Amino acid sequence: MVRFEDVVLRYGKGPEILKHISLQFDPGSYHFLVGASGAGKSSLLRMMYLAQHPSDGRVALFGRDIAGLSRRETALLRRQIGVVFQDFRLLEHLTARENVALPLQISGEAGARSAKDVEELLSWVGLADHMDALPPTLSGGQQQRVAIARAVIGRPSLLLADEPTGNLDDRMAVRLLYLFEELNKIGTTVVIATHNESLVQRFRHPITRLSGGEIDSSGDSAAAPKREAP
Amino acid sequence: MSRRRKHQAVPLDRDASGRYLPLLVAIMVYLAALALAGAMVANKLASRWDSGLAGALTVQLPAAAPAAENATGNDPVLPAVVALLEQTQGVIAVDAMQTSEISALLEPWLGDAVLAGDLPLPRLIAVTVDAGQPPDLAALRRSVLAIAPGSLVDDHQRWLSHLLDLAWAVEIMAIVIVAMVVCAAAIMVAFVTRMGLAAHEQAIELLHLIGAQDSYVARQFQNHALSLGLRGGLIGLLCALPTLYLGRHLLQRINSGLLPEMSLLPHEWSLLILLPVASALVTMLTARFTVLRTLARMP
Repeated sequence: MVRFEDVVLRYGKGPEILKHISLQFDPGSYHFLVGASGAGKSSLLRMMYLAQHPSDGRVALFGRDIAGLSRRETALLRRQIGVVFQDFRLLEHLTARENVALPLQISGEAGARSAKDVEELLSWVGLADHMDALPPTLSGGQQQRVAIARAVIGRPSLLLADEPTGNLDDRMAVRLLYLFEELNKIGTTVVIATHNESLVQRFRHPITRLSGGEIDSSGDSAAAPKREAP
Repeated sequence: MSRRRKHQAVPLDRDASGRYLPLLVAIMVYLAALALAGAMVANKLASRWDSGLAGALTVQLPAAAPAAENATGNDPVLPAVVALLEQTQGVIAVDAMQTSEISALLEPWLGDAVLAGDLPLPRLIAVTVDAGQPPDLAALRRSVLAIAPGSLVDDHQRWLSHLLDLAWAVEIMAIVIVAMVVCAAAIMVAFVTRMGLAAHEQAIELLHLIGAQDSYVARQFQNHALSLGLRGGLIGLLCALPTLYLGRHLLQRINSGLLPEMSLLPHEWSLLILLPVASALVTMLTARFTVLRTLARMP
């Protein structure tokens, strides 16, 4: 599903943000990426949702090297990936309902049935009374839930979430992580980047620890992801 | 998805450029409508002159000297030239104009002196020839000169060619103006589209990240441009119609036989009415092309 081979990332001529990362996430797996702020979690995710190409090394998604993808192929591949951005990235002129429906509209699946799916999902994340609210009128936690609903509405094969529980109370955070588990049970590969160690410990899923742009192999070996031999 | 309104993924209708684009398109369509109408009138003018004077000759005999008149007071040269013309192959009709008709033609320029008979007037013979088999003009000139020295045989071609050149020049200029207006409109729309791409960079990036292809983004811009172009085109056409009516009215007041009826035919009106559609298509295609070209250059 996701395969990094000796991946190096630097922005421009700056220092290496990611240093010789090799890892593999198998289809249907559930992973936590843990590390302090600046450890490289978001950069790693950016490459997974095709916003960034590696400076060196090879990244493959769904068995395809991302370096050789055309713009059209990139777009089609992105439709299989749901992303919860750290800064939510909601379109402020669209209502919560329209934001969540956007991936369906883009992939040409918008219709009466999908409209019902959107409403059900928004109700499930506790926003039944805010479906027609514009993002600026919602709280941070509510915006985050809209962003999560938008990421999962298309039932992606790969779900990437960057600090998805940062603005949520513990009860809602746990509830959303269980939603991700439900998606994982039906085959979605889930990768969650978070600095919330206590939350991660509630789930028994593999943990990849990042520190200073490198994978920290001193972490919990039992929970470590399957890694490629260097 | 919402039932209450059709939403745009990129909020282009909030851009300031959207407010001014219809106005600019309206000005362009206004100019294009006037130029196009000018081209059509010039074309009509050229056709009329060309067909009206084809197959016609004018023979001008010098004014008769009193000594040349016979005992009855008539000049014997005029009937001789008329007879010659009537016998010439390719001549269909010969009409020697009466002195009173010639006086009436010259009266607006020369005044009452012409009517009083104070001025010596040339004698004019209007000749209709077979346009398919015209007479040998050089031979006819020689024969007429042999009877009436100093006379002129004019087939109007010199004068006509100058007028036709003028009419074609007006027509070509009008077409060039229309082409320049289209180019200016396209450049303007491309500029506004690029401004829109820059202003909505983050929204467009998000759309790409959730799987939108370039064509989806281009559709947002082209639909918006289509709407603005159509609106501007209609405004421009509505403004052009009174101007065209006023122009027609002023030309009719000239009341010159040189100018044809200035009203446009139905198919010419339909060309003008299509201008808003054309402006909408130009703005739409320009916006689409600009977006696709700009996005293709992005990493």
